[in-house]
Formats: sequence, structure tokens, C-alpha cells
Amino acid sequence: MPVSRREFLNLLAAAGGAGAVVKAGAALGIMPADAAASTLDLAAGNGRSAVILGGGISGLATAYELGKAGWDCTVLEASHRCGGRIFTVRHGTLIDELGNRQYCEFDDEPHMYFNAGAARIPNTHRTLLSYCKELGVELEIFINENKTCWVQDDALLGGKPVRNIEYTTHMRGFVAELMAKAMHESDMDEPFTEAEAETLLGMIRSFGDLSEDNVYRGSFNAGFASGGFLNEGVQKDIIAFRDLLKTPFAMTLLRTNEGETGPILLQARGGMDRITEGFLRQVGDRVSYRAMVASIQVRDDGVEVAYDQDGARRQIRADYCFNCIPTHLVTGLDHNFPAHYVRALKFVLRGEAYKAAFQAKERFWEKQDIYGGISWMNNRSQQIWYPVAGIHQQKGVILAAYDYGGGMYHTRMTQQERVEAHLADGEKVHRDYRNLVEKPVTVGWHRMNHMLGCSARWRRSFREGWTGETEDHYRTLQAPVNGRHYLIGDQVSMRSAWMESALLSAHWAMNDLDRRLRNAPA
Amino acid sequence: MIRLAFICLLCVASLASAAEREPFDDRYCTTCHGADGRGNEGVQAPRLAGMEPWYLKRQLENYRDGIRGTHPDDIEGVAMQPMAAMLTDESIQDIIEWVGGWNYVPAEHTISGDIDAGRTLYQPCATCHGADAEGNEALGAPALAGQNDWYMVTQIRNFLAGYRGVHPQDVYGAQMRVMTTGLNGENDINNVVAYINSLSD
Ligand SMILES: Cc1cc2nc3c(=O)[nH]c(=O)nc-3n(C[C@H](O)[C@H](O)[C@H](O)COP(=O)(O)OP(=O)(O)OC[C@H]3O[C@@H](n4cnc5c(N)ncnc54)[C@H](O)[C@@H]3O)c2cc1C
Repeated sequence: MPVSRREFLNLLAAAGGAGAVVKAGAALGIMPADAAASTLDLAAGNGRSAVILGGGISGLATAYELGKAGWDCTVLEASHRCGGRIFTVRHGTLIDELGNRQYCEFDDEPHMYFNAGAARIPNTHRTLLSYCKELGVELEIFINENKTCWVQDDALLGGKPVRNIEYTTHMRGFVAELMAKAMHESDMDEPFTEAEAETLLGMIRSFGDLSEDNVYRGSFNAGFASGGFLNEGVQKDIIAFRDLLKTPFAMTLLRTNEGETGPILLQARGGMDRITEGFLRQVGDRVSYRAMVASIQVRDDGVEVAYDQDGARRQIRADYCFNCIPTHLVTGLDHNFPAHYVRALKFVLRGEAYKAAFQAKERFWEKQDIYGGISWMNNRSQQIWYPVAGIHQQKGVILAAYDYGGGMYHTRMTQQERVEAHLADGEKVHRDYRNLVEKPVTVGWHRMNHMLGCSARWRRSFREGWTGETEDHYRTLQAPVNGRHYLIGDQVSMRSAWMESALLSAHWAMNDLDRRLRNAPA
Repeated sequence: MIRLAFICLLCVASLASAAEREPFDDRYCTTCHGADGRGNEGVQAPRLAGMEPWYLKRQLENYRDGIRGTHPDDIEGVAMQPMAAMLTDESIQDIIEWVGGWNYVPAEHTISGDIDAGRTLYQPCATCHGADAEGNEALGAPALAGQNDWYMVTQIRNFLAGYRGVHPQDVYGAQMRVMTTGLNGENDINNVVAYINSLSD
């Protein structure tokens, strides 16, 4: 007789606590609906005007959507380019880092580019993906985790790089062995029926590739020492459990492919700024460049904005204003925002990401069976990314460092010091690295002109998460000022640092305005 | 329309050797220091509008020459230093003229403290900075009234901790280091800054 739904839930409740019931309840519910992107159905603009501050993706999407509805839109962008934190560096690109201006010297080839800002699109970021489709932005698969890539830590096996697959296979093996032992030696199998316990043990065995006696003796999953095709494969030596535990990668490597950076990830073919270009094909004529906003005055009947362009102070007035300028720069403008709004603006802290890249004279990683993916280093450069673009061509562009959480360590260095640091770190993974790479570019987001930060930091600590105070400030910034000025961008979301959040924030603002306009007495 | 001071060296420039290159804009002070140099707490960059030309000159030169902004714990100074490193005497003069075109707007007060206690603490400071914190060029002491209070707090802390004013060529900084030793702890710092705030009310 099949187990009833209730019995099944009871079983889970016994083993997993009440939380498991809630989640399983949802899983057993109706079949999942198709994934739906956020869409807008805006009323006709009827000649209404909007001024959009900042040509980040949220600003451009706002110009695009309002334009479709017949609004008169103007985008003011301080920089020489739109896209903000969507920034692809290729031949000739100006990297406008304050105090460290660079022009990229990569070869002028379509596959020779570096996404210095946004680089990955998770398959669940539907709004972004549907814009890519609508705007004709070609996508390709991005490879984040590639188990053939290297793991390097001075504390592990004397600093010898190890294939990710070796490390993780052995780690899973030993952990599985522990779990299998624990099941036998304690009453851990108590809450389960014999059949369930058998399934669980089977799962543990296959998870760790254990022998029949539940001992880990190495695995072909880690690759062959020799043979494998025409001759019998020879297993690689096991790395001792103790050794595996010498590196903090023990705590991170098994989850780099989970959650939002888990498969499937995509990227825009030819560089992430193809997304910006897609929007600009639609609204490019609405954008005013090198137009730096200096003042925002919210009035009862509209918004007055002053900006500097070509050495002159200019004015523009519009019925509504959408603003994706980073909060920490908005605080430096002349404005008439209410005090609680200013407090909320100041509450948000700025992130510190840092990235660097090299042109490689030859695709040396492909000689090591590596096609795309990330090598992890336990040093300050942290990561090496191998390109998906241009497989088997002569040259390629590799990411030489990516510090997402910190970044100031390299940002504070001179260009020469940064480059030397990445060469010294990288040559621990790739012999002759120093001679194989050239034409470095580095991007300290904390110093990028008109950005001065990476992504908004709302949380004061990871443990604390979103407190009531945080959420109050967040709702304050999400709401319009006097019904006329909307702050947008991923900074006005609970998940900053994603293009999807920037788009959803813009959609929220446009929907809110649309609802208010529809409800307003004629 | 208000004409901004025209700055020949600091406006949109292009490299003669690579004419096709994207021109860059060297007039980036306001990215950090806010519109018209009003100061920006969001990135901890102080008000420049209304700053005395001689003081601005001295500080830009100090930054450029590595006299200020090189101690790793001087977080904001370390951010400023590379901006100044590329300046020439001429471009410093241009910046001073540009900044001179901005209207003085007293900074918003963000710090509260015991103003009466602050008045007493301020007495030694008044010798150089003036009874109304209006500054004194002859003594090389800048005006404090109207400056961002959070900036003054940071600088006092920096002097006390030896993050600023330790370079052998920083004569005025060394004086400030001595003077700040009269302030004991965060309360004193807040009180004296609260008093300086009260002078620009
Ligand atoms: C290193 C890094 C990695 C990232 N990785 C990913 C990723 O893999 N996937 C992903 O989805 N997202 C990623 N992100 C986040 C993504 O780039 C952002 O969420 C998104 O691009 C933000 O868009 P936005 O509309 O909020 O505006 P922004 O991109 O922040 O644009 C703001 C705009 O305002 C302009 N501006 C500033 N001051 C003024 C002024 N005074 N007047 C006029 N204009 C002004 C700026 O020049 C800029 O163009 C990453 C970001 C960084 C930095």
C-alpha cells in the first residue's frame, strides 16, 4: 500500500522537525507553474515626462518601458558610458578608476574581453533573461564550477596545486565514511524504517563512493593516475583526510556550485555589456552622456534636476524622476529630501569588490584539460577564471583576481603592486604564469568614477541579517518622495549585486506609479 | 545657466598619441566631494566649498608629496592620496580656482555633544583657529566652522592615533598632534566638535 501524504509528512516531521513539513507540503502541492518574468502593463503616458538619473540597467529599463508606454524620457548619465556596474573591458576600453586610469590593450578580437562587473546570469533570473530575449541579446552558457580546475593553498601538500575533483572526491569519501560509521554506532537510524535506513546508507555510500564495507579507499571519480581508455585505469593516490582539513577550502569548495552560482548560469555572448547595448538600441537617443547630476529638487508638480555638462550647469524639469545613482553618491548632491529619507540613504554602506584580468599569450589552461571554470587559491587574488569564449583559439583573457567581499587590499595598491601580487599568486597554480600573461587590467570598484563602490550593503553583519531597523530604512527608500522621485537599482532590493534585482526594483517603482496614476481622480 | 570656471588642464582631455581613444574627464573632485564640493558623508569626503585657497593648496601638495595620506590606517587619506599624486603645480592652481567658484554652504550638523564642555576644550584651539573658528592664514590654521563635523572627528582621531601629522615635513600636522593630546576620549572629541558646530548656527 502506498504511503499516504499525511504519513509521509509525519515521517518527515519526526526526522526533520516542523520546518521540513512546511517545505515538503509545498513540494507535494500542485505542479509547478511555468516560470514567469516580471512584466509591466503601464497605462499610456499621455505626454507625461520622466527624467532618469543614471544609465545603469535599472535606469535604461525604466526608459525603455516608459518609452513603450508613450512617456517622454530623458536619461542623464555622468559617465562616458552607460551600464554602470555592467562593464566589459576590451581593446581600447577606458577604465576610469580615480587615481589609476587605464586603457585596455587586449588584442582586438571578439573573444578577448573581460566582464569587470556583472559576469553571471543565473537561470532563475527571469526578468533579465526575458529582456535578453526581447532585446535580441545572444546568450551562452557560463561555466562557474569546473572540477578540472585547480585548488591551491600553501598549507595543502606543500602548496602543490590539486585538481578540484581530487580534493572534493576525497573529502566526500571521508565525510561519507564518517556518516556511515555514525549510522551504525549510534541510534541515528532510529527514526527510519529499515527500508529508509537502507536507502539512506546507500545514498551515503554513493555520495562518498565507499567500498562495500563502508570504508573510503579512493575513487576513480578523482581521475586516473594513468590508463583508463585502452589500458585499465590506475587510481590516484588518496590525499589524507588530515591534509584535506589543512585548508579552509574544506568549508567552501563543496558549495561553490550551489545556490545562486549553481548551474545553469548564462552570459551574454561577446561581453555582458551586450545587454546594455540591447537597451541602448531602443533608448539610446534618450541618453545624455557626461551629464553629472548635481541637484534634485522634488516639487509638488514635478522634479527639477540640475546637472553639469560641457562645463555648464543645466536644468531639466520632469513630471517624475527615477534615480539609480548609488545612495552614497546621492548623499553628496544638493537635494530637498526629507530627513528620514536622508537617514536611510546614509544607512546603506558601499561594497568593495575588486577584479583584475590578464591577456594570455596562449591558452595554457586548455593544455591542462581546463575549459572554463574557476581555480581557487587561498591567497588574496583568490580566483582565476578561464574563459568560455574562444575555445581553442590562440589567446584568451583570464580573470586574475576577484575579491568580492573585501577588495580594499588590492584597491589600496598601485597598479604595479596589484599586477605583481596577481602574478605571484597565479604562478603558484600555473608554472610560467608570469611569462604566459600580459596586458593587465585592474578594477577597484571602490574607486571607479561615478560608482565609488560595488553593491549596496544593507546588512550590518551576516549573522544579524535584516533587522527591523534595516527593513524600515529599506521601505523608506523604496517609497517615492512626494510621489515624484523613485530611487531604483539593486540598492533598493533585499538582494543587491544582481542585475535581476535592479530590474525588479525598477518594475516595482513603475508599477507603484502606474497604480497611483490609475487611481488618481481625473 | 551658471558657467563653471573653465579649467584648461582639468577639462575633458585626450591623449595626442592615441587620438581615437575615449577621452577622459579629469574634473572628478565632485565625484567624491559632492555637488559643488559640499562634502559627502556617504563616502566620507569633506566639504571643499569655502575652503581657504592656501589651505587647499597645502593639503593637495601634502597629499601629492606623500606627506599626508600614506598611513595605512588613514582610510580616507589613503583614498585621496593617489588622486593628488598625479597633480602638477599648475593643475593644483586650476583646482583652487575651480573650488573658489563654489558657494560656501555650512555643512549639516550630524554630531551632538555637550557644547559647554566643548567651549572649554576649544579654548586652546582658538589661539590658532580663532574664537569663531574662522581660521587664521598667518598661523596656517584653517577655518573649522562650517566644515563637516564627522570629518573633524575623523581628523582629530587621526592626529591622536598618529595616522596624520607624523611625517617630518608636516610641521602644522605636528602642532595639531600636540594640541589634540588635550582631548581625552570620544566624549571630548564630540564635545569640542559640537561646540565648533554651534559657531556656524
Ligand atoms: C564586481 C561585480 C560583480 C557583479 N557580478 C554580477 C553577476 O555576476 N550577475 C549579476 O546579475 N550582477 C552582478 N553584479 C551586480 C550588477 O552589476 C548590478 O546589480 C547592476 O548592474 C546594477 O544596476 P543599477 O541599475 O542598480 O545601476 P548601476 O550599475 O549602479 O548604475 C548607476 C549609474 O549611475 C551613474 N551615476 C552616478 N552618479 C551620477 C550622477 N551624479 N549623475 C548621473 N549619473 C550618475 C553611474 O555612472 C552609473 O551608470 C556585479 C557587480 C559588480 C561590481
